[in-house]
Amino acid sequence: MNDPTNNSRAIRSWLGHGALAACVLSSLALAGDKSWLIKAHKIHTAAGDTIEDGFLQVTDGRITAVAGVSMGGGGDMLEVAAVTPGLIDLSVRIDLGFDSVEQSTETPASLDVENGIDLWDPRFERELKSGVTTVVVSPPDRAVIGGWSLALKTGGPPTLEKRRVAPRVALRAAIGDEPSDGNRPAFGQPDSFYNRRPTTRMGVEWVLRKSFYDALAARKDAALATDETRAFEEVLAGKAPLFIAASTTQDIRTACFLQREFKLPRLIIDAAAEAWKDPQMVVQSGAAVVLPPFSFGGRGGVDGAFHAWNTAALLHERGLTIALSGHNSIERGDRLAVQPGLAMHGGLPFDAALAAVTINPARMAGIDGRVGSIATGKDADLVLWDGRPFEPSSRIVGVLLDGELIVDPRTQK
Amino acid sequence: MQTTPSHFFARSVLATSFALLTGGLALGADKLVIEAGRVITRAGHEIKDGVIVIENGRITKVGKQGEVDKPWDATVIGGPSFVAFPGFVEAQTSRGLDRPNENIDVAPFLDIRDSIDPINFAYEDYLRHGVTTLNVQQGGNCVIGGRGMIVRPVGMTVDEMAVRPDYALKLSASPKTGKSAATQSMALRRAFDELKKRLEKQVQDKKDGKARDKREAMFQGRELEGEKAKGRAMDGKGWRVDGLELVPRGELDEKDLQLLELVEGKRDAFVWCAAAMDVRKALDLAKQNGFLERTTLVLAGDCWKAADVVAASGRPAILVPPMLHVELDPLTGKEVETSVPKAFAEKGVKFAIASEGFGPTTPSQQVLWYQAALAVGQGLPRDKAIAAITTVPAEILGLADRVGSLEAGKDGNVLLLDGEPLSIRTHVEFVIIEGKTAYDRSKDIRAKHLLEGQEPRGTSPAGVDGASDAKPGSKQDALKKDEAAEKKAAEEQRKADEKKHYESSEERG
Repeated sequence: MNDPTNNSRAIRSWLGHGALAACVLSSLALAGDKSWLIKAHKIHTAAGDTIEDGFLQVTDGRITAVAGVSMGGGGDMLEVAAVTPGLIDLSVRIDLGFDSVEQSTETPASLDVENGIDLWDPRFERELKSGVTTVVVSPPDRAVIGGWSLALKTGGPPTLEKRRVAPRVALRAAIGDEPSDGNRPAFGQPDSFYNRRPTTRMGVEWVLRKSFYDALAARKDAALATDETRAFEEVLAGKAPLFIAASTTQDIRTACFLQREFKLPRLIIDAAAEAWKDPQMVVQSGAAVVLPPFSFGGRGGVDGAFHAWNTAALLHERGLTIALSGHNSIERGDRLAVQPGLAMHGGLPFDAALAAVTINPARMAGIDGRVGSIATGKDADLVLWDGRPFEPSSRIVGVLLDGELIVDPRTQK
Repeated sequence: MQTTPSHFFARSVLATSFALLTGGLALGADKLVIEAGRVITRAGHEIKDGVIVIENGRITKVGKQGEVDKPWDATVIGGPSFVAFPGFVEAQTSRGLDRPNENIDVAPFLDIRDSIDPINFAYEDYLRHGVTTLNVQQGGNCVIGGRGMIVRPVGMTVDEMAVRPDYALKLSASPKTGKSAATQSMALRRAFDELKKRLEKQVQDKKDGKARDKREAMFQGRELEGEKAKGRAMDGKGWRVDGLELVPRGELDEKDLQLLELVEGKRDAFVWCAAAMDVRKALDLAKQNGFLERTTLVLAGDCWKAADVVAASGRPAILVPPMLHVELDPLTGKEVETSVPKAFAEKGVKFAIASEGFGPTTPSQQVLWYQAALAVGQGLPRDKAIAAITTVPAEILGLADRVGSLEAGKDGNVLLLDGEPLSIRTHVEFVIIEGKTAYDRSKDIRAKHLLEGQEPRGTSPAGVDGASDAKPGSKQDALKKDEAAEKKAAEEQRKADEKKHYESSEERG
């Protein structure tokens, strides 16, 4: 291990690139009214088919035609090896850290994360340039309920109105060690009421169940209704999914038990590293699953969860809807664009791997009307590759967001 | 010390896996024929339907099927579905050590052989990912560190692992913990200044007829016979101490002896640079003290800014992950990304890629071929990326005639892959080290655990519970319970297999 104290110097600033960054900034400010004709050896649509030697027409920010022959429309021509839809990360984890954790209550279910994110955060651009065009941002898992997650584009004009794909796509919850971890005092027992609750896994589960019971009680007696019970009611009624972070088998089991107890129509389990240990349980709960980044050693997940390489393949074979995530890694080898490749290393077929970063997460977040596949009328969010997509040795040579060329394949030599 | 059940089972699994991994090594025949649909002998050179003949650990023939005479009594492995590839070479790592960094600033008297832990997971991992030769050096958190060693990742003892013991010295041009750039530079300069002064004093003492150093050497039990009893004139490119031939080499202490070898250009040096500003310091130090020609720079991502300086020096480099350098622009607050291998390739620097990361290690680091694949994805030509984990590190380590490519006369270090090298869909199926099967994926229980979610036998919760219930001393009971647990596991396995069979027949139906 090399000296970690030198690390701060590794991200030490470098002046010469100011001009480049300014170029990116100005290109973002342009309106997406340009037309593009994209020719690709393979167009992976994620809508069920792959078009060989096909063409794609982009006009006014939308995909206007997809065909096996040139449609002869206007616009500059871009020629690449492969095209996929813009990637979607449901678990991108770009937040303000503790500034995004509400401390006044454990269940701030009426809060919206959109009031606690920074659209100028450079990490959004990191995602965009590495092919991720839509993300779901959730509050950090330091409270049992974090608040409402938000789906937004990673680029474009920096206003919520322009970037938001959909508000309140899911109610974020967390089980496991993280929500209670920070609640214990630095030393001694958590035996004073000045400590925040809960302090154990049991307590976390209790807080969750109590919230649902309160919402059920409010159904019978309107006088008991609060903003919070109304938020939980949306989840109970299936208007929004519960998006729950659970990594180890025991926590995934807790999530499945909650689903069964309250008959939650829509459950998404995030960071479900150990879903491979009891996939039947997850199947029965009807949950969709978001897998954390793969690790060559298996370990390293939240709560020491062990993430087997065939997890994605195993869950896919059993008919579960899965999505992959990159957790906003700074390391290119761990970003979302290579996660489908790593899942393929563990046996997942290409089409399923493609779906797991495009149409599946779009459906889970209920935004598949706009993004998640290459189809006429959808947002022109596209990733252009110089080789087989998702290989670590392939390059993302082009990114389009709402029809605007963010990374230009003509300058990527 | 009491062994907890979980430890016990972990150990038994470890022992089993090593028996599997190393068993082949002990039983292998002297002659091995490897057949493969493709034999990639080095970057850009490929034989369709190729054959490799290995005799007594060395490759004797490489060629096309039908054109190469195969010994009749050789063991044959491989087949048309395999791709044969040279074993990967790790140019530098400090994984698999007890503790990779020594607190003493200047410690060239230390030898890494005392820190290498042969049954550390790291070596098993290296094998699993196709690394057959690796240079183990101490970490970069030093001023002048201990001597490294080149090893193969097989063997239960350091001696079995050794390819080249007593190898290079590790130095750091970047501040170790607790030092600033200034104090680090001072410590480096002082190490050589003091060496020079001590040598001069020893020469003067000899001229004055003092026998203090001889008495000290004898007191420490050092031999003063043969070569060690002779003095030799100093042979340094940077500086020299006249009259050193008066001092028997055996009278120099361990620290001075290693540093003197460095100054005399008789030992390789690996110099760690965490930032671009350290590169010049590393090169100056090496030049002033005469070991520039034996120096390899070990570079973190930031050093791409000094690619010109490295290129001008003509010295090879080792690039450590991350391959993509990311930093914040101070004016715009935006992230700027630079492909490190591409930046060095464009300047014509000869470099190897290593797998041990700098800073917080991320999950994908530590796998050599994956880092090379990432480099390709960042614009490095494929042949250069392959060379950076085969032939270039072999050259850097002075083993170009032994490892890094598949040619007659070289060590029989061969990988059998199930697909295109550097592809994410490819797995290492077999690793042959010096003509012997060192790794067979079908027998790798930990890969099964990792890749297939299949927990190794004996580590299931049932097994652990069975053992923990046993009273101390009641070995018989524990055995029975183990048997019961094993039976139960076998029964479960049978049920699972049946179910699998049922499911697959359903698919067929």
